[in-house]
Amino acid sequence: MTALPRDELRNLGIAAAILLVAPLPVMGSSYYLGVLIHVVVFAMFAVALNIVFGETDQLFLFMGGLAGIGAYGTALFTNWFGLSAWLTMIAAALFAGLVGLVVSWISARRNFTVVLISILTLNLQLVITEIMVGARDLTGGSTGFTYEEYFSLEAIGGVLGLGPELLIYYISLILLMVILLVYVWLVNARFGVAFDAIREDELAAASIGIDVVRYKVIAGFLAAFVFGLVGPFYAREASYILPSAFTFLTVDVLVLIVLIVGGLRTTLGPIVGAVIVVAIEEILGATLTNWRTAIFGILLIALFLYFRRGVVRFAADRLSTLDGVGSGGESRG
Amino acid sequence: MVTASTMVAIAVDGIAFGVFLALLGVGITLVFGLGEVLNLAIGTFAVMAVLVASWMISSGLGLVVASVIGVVVVAAIGLAADRTLLSPAYRLQGEQRILLGIFTTLGLTVFLDGFLINGINLAFLGGPRLIPAFPASYQLPLDLPTVSVGAAVLRGSSLIVIAVGAVLLAIMFLFLQRTFLGKATRTVFQDEVGAQLVGVEPRRIRTLIFVLSVTVAAVAAIVWALGHQVSVSSGFQFTTFALIVSIVGGVRSLTGAIAAGLLLGLVNQFANFFVGSYVASVILFGAAIVFLLAKPEAIS
Repeated sequence: MTALPRDELRNLGIAAAILLVAPLPVMGSSYYLGVLIHVVVFAMFAVALNIVFGETDQLFLFMGGLAGIGAYGTALFTNWFGLSAWLTMIAAALFAGLVGLVVSWISARRNFTVVLISILTLNLQLVITEIMVGARDLTGGSTGFTYEEYFSLEAIGGVLGLGPELLIYYISLILLMVILLVYVWLVNARFGVAFDAIREDELAAASIGIDVVRYKVIAGFLAAFVFGLVGPFYAREASYILPSAFTFLTVDVLVLIVLIVGGLRTTLGPIVGAVIVVAIEEILGATLTNWRTAIFGILLIALFLYFRRGVVRFAADRLSTLDGVGSGGESRG
Repeated sequence: MVTASTMVAIAVDGIAFGVFLALLGVGITLVFGLGEVLNLAIGTFAVMAVLVASWMISSGLGLVVASVIGVVVVAAIGLAADRTLLSPAYRLQGEQRILLGIFTTLGLTVFLDGFLINGINLAFLGGPRLIPAFPASYQLPLDLPTVSVGAAVLRGSSLIVIAVGAVLLAIMFLFLQRTFLGKATRTVFQDEVGAQLVGVEPRRIRTLIFVLSVTVAAVAAIVWALGHQVSVSSGFQFTTFALIVSIVGGVRSLTGAIAAGLLLGLVNQFANFFVGSYVASVILFGAAIVFLLAKPEAIS
């Protein structure tokens, strides 16, 4: 077991502390609590994309679909087996993970390029969306169904004295920190070395004994599992589940922007990116709701053309030039 | 029991949809073959032509003039997009270029979608409404009679799509086979360094073909919209269909794209008729996935 780097843990601790007290200034406003949950949910999505795309160059463009599998799967398993949603969401996430595993395994075995994976998964996304809309008996079609009832929190909330929204927020925050710790552990363990080698040159990595397929499959499974696991939180936050919430344009495009804004292959990038993107959404929401799509389109283009380094790395470079010493925090990649 | 005449009518509608998809798919194929940029905005460009045309018609112009304006506007925006957005992609090599191409054209799609839904309204500054919003579905007004062939009743709009599409495809083939620019295009397609050695400038050819591809898509969509409703959200849908056509046709093969377009159009129409549109779409996307798994070398 490799010891986790101190500065990474310190940064994570600071981020956790800020997010921990974030609800305090807006205590009692369920609207802002919803916004905060949104930030955490998208940060988690972005960490998952970071693992699979940032670390192993597999561009999954069916993130919305995977989250949908997790969200719908949780509800369906609950209906069918009468178990608590807290149990079935794990099962649904495992199922989503399995889908990611199969996709990664096939792609890695057959040496698919990143472009091929992206088009393959985009088509999977379209299939999943069609099924969510079309299989009305199961999903309620494009009218959906209410989702709140699946996560009963009164029992725990009563004990802790927290409202259900606040409880969901803290549960998702804990989940985010766990996922981030797993990420930090991954990239600092031998996985990280293997990921770097695979990204640089797959053939060379294989020639020094790195099992390329295995590492890509692990990354694919982990990311898909996280998407599946976060899906129910995403649906619960909207309190109503609809196929249109899980389309390519509503989830995948946004998660890509979040990750690139924050910074590919950085630990804090997903959080920073999610805060910025959700803040933009909220500012637009107040005045220019309709322009949201257009502005995210411009953002996507501009980011990929001029700002592929991301805010976190940009800030780290700025700080280190100011200090005159390397900050070391974001040295990877 | 479905009568033979109904089957013929469905087949004709399917061929019409197939020709429409082929025209978009060929555009993706040409641009990707020339410079490895996957144009994920082609459907949006196509829809934009219809929206501009219907805007012109509602402000009093005739159908033909309005359509020409729609096509010209799309060509101009295509040219601007190529010179500004695609240049950075062409400066990169290999996978980096393909990725940047995907993201910039995807971003362009998202932007144009948002833009077209809103239009530009300066009313809050006391100014006029510059560009109208297009929140609904639009169809270009032309009364097309049905045509009876034997017992089969065929939709006039489908026949027009097939006729115009065939002419457009013929023109593109003649251009590529017979003209100097067309030959230069095929040279770049086959061997970029070789093309440069004989004095062909790949970047200019790429611009030319990109503008050509969106122009063809614009014309195709306008003809399509004579018999069908088109909305902003149709754009990305057309793109995904065109992408499938291009992939199944083998991304670098024009005749392949045309054959794939016809095949998918027919499959889609018959599946629509017999099992409903939801299963039809699943079949279509599923077919693309199976094809990608069976022949991945087609696109890499």
